[in-house]
Amino acid sequence: MGEVLIKVDGVSKKFAKDLKKSLIYGLSDVFSGIIGKKQDKSLRGDEFWAVKDISFEVRRGECLGLIGHNGAGKSTLLKILNGLISPDEGSVTMYGKIGALIELGAGFNPILTGRENIYNNAAIIGFNKQEIETKFEDIVAFAELEDFIDMPVQNYSSGMKVRLGFAIAAQMEPDVLIIDEVLAVGDLGFILKCFKQIDKLLPHTAVVFVSHSMPMISRVANQILLLARGETEYLGNEVGKGIDIYYNRFVDNESTVFLDDGILELKKVQLLNVKEYYKEVPVIKWGDDLIIFFKIIFKQSEELPLFRIIINDKEQKPVGIFQTNTLNSDLTIEDNQLNFYLLHEKIQLSKGFYSIDLSVFKFNSNNPIYRINNVLSFQVVHDEDVWPPFLLNASYFNVKS
Amino acid sequence: MNLEKHIYTSSNSYSFLDVLKASLKGFQNSFYLANQLAKRDIKAQYRQSFLGVFWAIFPLLVNSLVWIFLQSSGTIQVTATKVPYPAFVLIGTTLWGIIGECINLTTQSVNANKSIITKINFDKEALITLGLIKFFFNFLIKIGLIILFLIFFKIVPSIEILFFIPLLFLSIVFFVAIGTLLMPISLLYNDISRLIPIALQFLMYATPVVYAIPHQGVMRGIMLLNPLTYIITDLRNLLTGYSIENPVFWFSGVFITAILSTIALVVYRVSMPILTERMS
Repeated sequence: MGEVLIKVDGVSKKFAKDLKKSLIYGLSDVFSGIIGKKQDKSLRGDEFWAVKDISFEVRRGECLGLIGHNGAGKSTLLKILNGLISPDEGSVTMYGKIGALIELGAGFNPILTGRENIYNNAAIIGFNKQEIETKFEDIVAFAELEDFIDMPVQNYSSGMKVRLGFAIAAQMEPDVLIIDEVLAVGDLGFILKCFKQIDKLLPHTAVVFVSHSMPMISRVANQILLLARGETEYLGNEVGKGIDIYYNRFVDNESTVFLDDGILELKKVQLLNVKEYYKEVPVIKWGDDLIIFFKIIFKQSEELPLFRIIINDKEQKPVGIFQTNTLNSDLTIEDNQLNFYLLHEKIQLSKGFYSIDLSVFKFNSNNPIYRINNVLSFQVVHDEDVWPPFLLNASYFNVKS
Repeated sequence: MNLEKHIYTSSNSYSFLDVLKASLKGFQNSFYLANQLAKRDIKAQYRQSFLGVFWAIFPLLVNSLVWIFLQSSGTIQVTATKVPYPAFVLIGTTLWGIIGECINLTTQSVNANKSIITKINFDKEALITLGLIKFFFNFLIKIGLIILFLIFFKIVPSIEILFFIPLLFLSIVFFVAIGTLLMPISLLYNDISRLIPIALQFLMYATPVVYAIPHQGVMRGIMLLNPLTYIITDLRNLLTGYSIENPVFWFSGVFITAILSTIALVVYRVSMPILTERMS
């Protein structure tokens, strides 16, 4: 275990909702700050706690994932950690050199060349002249901008700007690193490169990482802080649990039909084999059979269609598709009705929330006739907390030589 | 391992002296940054223009020419000046311009760099240094113009010109301190930044900038009450070979400036996080 590099102790911050009041309070804060008068810590009219009573510690080699919905107070907390604004209560103590990847390319002037802007930005994020000069070649090489380094930055593409910004920031050798969602831009190759660089820093740095992207969080964080309305909703080492709580707030049973040719009507979709419910969402155990029942009424033709059923994870990313029915499948329409169920044995999806999209096609054509998203959501439970979408059954065998 | 320790806590738990020390250290640490930013701004400013540095003196020239024309054409009658009127006006308007620039210096610098203030933690004192460097750059160009005028009108300064630099420096520090003290208010409320140019314009006519102090009348009384009169008059005297008229004024100026600028540094440092909060 490394030493504690970030220690946040009961930090709170209040903001005023009204601009005029905020300005007046600001003025009075400046005044009492100067004369050293003790301020009243309670809320004044129209104020609210943007961040309330947050405490945590991060050691060298650890990464705290900071998550929460928009307006939960992440950015405010980040600004406090970065020393941009001071907390109204509590304290933040940091040890060592602090690096912040909050905004890339701060202080770039569009008219100046990439070369000149490297000097500007590097100076702003705390390099001295000597450091910049020794690292200059590395920066240009990392950004892959050798050919364009003497071109004005205003002619750069946004991806190029981000690359240059990150390349400069990546040369920091901080003890404490604060990362905001800056890495979401650029092409895949560059994102991977950024991650590699962060991975390199991680073992000897205490990191606070803010992101809305749970895959990224689960990849790097070993501690998680979930904020809700400025307060700690979850703080702990079970990253998966924190992420689950975060996702649970988004559980959404609204399905959207976005194509309907009027040929059929979906009457009912239901998950069978369900023993419990969580907030009206059916819960099944990992390894159970997944059985989905469909009831469809045909209004025009009675031609048997093709069903394409997709499973999405909580980020609406498709993780699987069921084999479609064939002409040989045991499906028949009776009295304009089709009742059937789909069976998938021993589901191996890892724990979490999933939803199902249904598309209906005419056989032998690519013309969809009906499409509905999020027709059904369900939760898979398992003791083990894994991030990848599948927890695959496996046995291990020794091979004797 | 001995690691640097940073503590961020409620802004009012420091002593005056601690803040002052931190502020001075901030200046020291951020000099390279300020220099770099100044280079950035100056380069960018002139790279986008054909006439380049000419723009630093152009407004000055136009303004002076107007007054020179008004006087020479007999449109206005001004009290006779000790030095040729064109030189008098040019030096006067230049010095007056300096006062305005100095008062606005901190606010302007902070405003122009809002985007980095709200995102990056750096020593904010860099912004004052940045303003000063840019100011001195422009000043050098203007002083070049004044020297040309002095040579043209064959004005020979006396040995007392040696006082010009320290007294000018004192005035600059004084007005920058005033501007820095006003900055928190003028950043929160734009009333101040609207008021300053109007006040300066009005004050200019109550100061011997484009005309000398009349020998009698109401205006003479007003001008003598106006402390700016002594600053402008003496600085101009030094440049044009005359003596300081008000040594006592300058002596007290040293003390007032020392106190004001100390307070300004503390105000600046204490108010910056609070202002950052309202900028973002």
